[in-house]
Amino acid sequence: MARLDIIHLTKQFGNVLAVNDAGFTVQDSEFMCILGPSGCGKSTLLRMIAGFEAPTSGDMQIDGESVTALPPNKRPTAMVFQKYTLWPHMTVYENIAFGLGLRGLSRAVIDQKVHDSLALVSLSGYETRYPAQLSGGQQQRVALARAIVLEPKILLLDEPFSSLDAILRVRLREELKRIQRRLKITAIFVTHDQEEALSLADRIAVMSGGQIEQIDHPSTIYANPQTLFVADFIGAMNLLKASAQDGVLRLGGKQLTAPNGIQSSDKITIALRPEDLMIVPDGTPDAWKAQVDQVMDLGHYRKILVDVPDVGELKVYVTKSMTVNEGDRVSLLPIRYLIYQNDAAPIEVNRPAAALT
Amino acid sequence: MTTLQTSPPSSAWSRWRGAILAYVLVAPPLLLMVLLIFIPALQSIVRTLTIDVEGQSGFSFSRYVAFFNDPISVSNLVFTFQIVFLTLIIIFIVCFPLAIYLRFAQGRIAAAVQILVLFPLFVPGIILCYALIRFLGTRGTLDTVLSIFGVTEYRTPYLKPDAIIIGLVWESIPFTVLVLTAGLRQISDSLIESARDVGAGDWTIFRRIILPLITRPVLIAFSLNFLGIFGSYTVPYLLGPAAPQMMGVFMQQTFGQYRRPDDAETQAVITFLICSLVGLLYVRTVASQRIQQEDE
Repeated sequence: MARLDIIHLTKQFGNVLAVNDAGFTVQDSEFMCILGPSGCGKSTLLRMIAGFEAPTSGDMQIDGESVTALPPNKRPTAMVFQKYTLWPHMTVYENIAFGLGLRGLSRAVIDQKVHDSLALVSLSGYETRYPAQLSGGQQQRVALARAIVLEPKILLLDEPFSSLDAILRVRLREELKRIQRRLKITAIFVTHDQEEALSLADRIAVMSGGQIEQIDHPSTIYANPQTLFVADFIGAMNLLKASAQDGVLRLGGKQLTAPNGIQSSDKITIALRPEDLMIVPDGTPDAWKAQVDQVMDLGHYRKILVDVPDVGELKVYVTKSMTVNEGDRVSLLPIRYLIYQNDAAPIEVNRPAAALT
Repeated sequence: MTTLQTSPPSSAWSRWRGAILAYVLVAPPLLLMVLLIFIPALQSIVRTLTIDVEGQSGFSFSRYVAFFNDPISVSNLVFTFQIVFLTLIIIFIVCFPLAIYLRFAQGRIAAAVQILVLFPLFVPGIILCYALIRFLGTRGTLDTVLSIFGVTEYRTPYLKPDAIIIGLVWESIPFTVLVLTAGLRQISDSLIESARDVGAGDWTIFRRIILPLITRPVLIAFSLNFLGIFGSYTVPYLLGPAAPQMMGVFMQQTFGQYRRPDDAETQAVITFLICSLVGLLYVRTVASQRIQQEDE
């Protein structure tokens, strides 16, 4: 239950900038996810917050007090690691009680806290088991209990569920969210799994190449990715090369509505979500003719791949109620897209609803 | 079902062939062990327990009674134990920090330390002994250097028990550090980091996390070093005092100089029995590791 300020934090390994001038604030009881591909510096950032890596420059403050100079055992943080986290020679009870014992608490207090924390992760009755006698999911729940029992100000999680299977991962994710809400603990969760980040986080920090690309609410990140990297990394996206000249936006042989302020350039990228391409009746003005190459049933919706002459292959999501078959010719209308130019924030284009009817 | 019952006869044959091949491969070393170690050892043990009275041979502990009633024999046995345990204690005091350093340190200095640690492995014992005599002896290198700095009361450990311990520790460092480092590498970083994370300092981490997780490598290093040191000959012979003697030197002298092969044989059997107890500890440690690995 605390606020964390990351101020101009940089970490350099040799001549590699693992984290480059990161700066953000995690609010009290907020659940922040740091999301990025492997090697983007997200784990290094988390390890600096935990105290396992010393920053090259910058500062970290918890509730306004700098912790940068403190070793991990003196920081009010607790970390859940990716795997091999439980001490194999200790029982579940001993694993959880270890940190409490170091704090010189009485046996009765330790007993109570261990039992409470095990109840919290739904593992009451597992006190005498050894880690080798637990499943992977149970082990990570014990690791979570071991971190939480110390009542840290900030809970740090380094891809804690990445070595578990998909179903278990989703279940533990829900459980973690429930526990975090109940304890109102400030949490920072590192992951490369965007679904995990989108479903867990109050805010997501997307990282790439040591830089923080964008920090926002999950829905904003999805709807308004501020950089091309975020646009490509989060969710499915059609990225199309385009050019602009004299206020006209050209995509292959097609013209698109160009917003004001667009500069003449041949280095423009248009980002188009698959759900923002609508199948419209033939003859709709500005619609693109396309041929359906592939139809994939994805449960509650269908993903189709269409070939648009002069543009290329596009992903489109359609509802189950719509009958589309491979080889069909359809008309597509982009109803919303983002235009990226010169590393600047994207320009959003929404086709007025009237144009659809 | 029928296909199962008439499973190809070749599978049974190939199983047989595999078994035969295994026995053939195991046979030569097994035969050598039986012919050169087990049978002579058994013969020795039987001989030391036999007594000839007027042409009649009978069972007797008399040779062992004689050994344990002889003050020199007993003092040599006690001396051997003292040297073994002191040496082992010093080996672990020296090797633990080295192994921990090599497990966690990176870079050029660590690589250099690694080479230095392994160096004694490539120096034959006899060369080591003469090098130590030149270095530690009266008017040796150390004495000379100390006298330059005005220290004139240097008393050489040469021909004292201390010299044996120095030689044996030097010889045992590479193997011990290798075994301990290998054990330490099995402990993943996150186990140590999570201990630090919940508040443990270096000493607590060593005592409560690292030490319990490397009991097996420690037992292996302990038992193999014990065997090597208990039966050592060159180092105590060249560097140690004339009396008391370690069992290896004592046996050789009883056999070669005093020409009492019977007594030497008794000393050998006693040494053998003590060492086989420690050998048993080693075998049990390794076997429990195998079982655990198969479980995983």
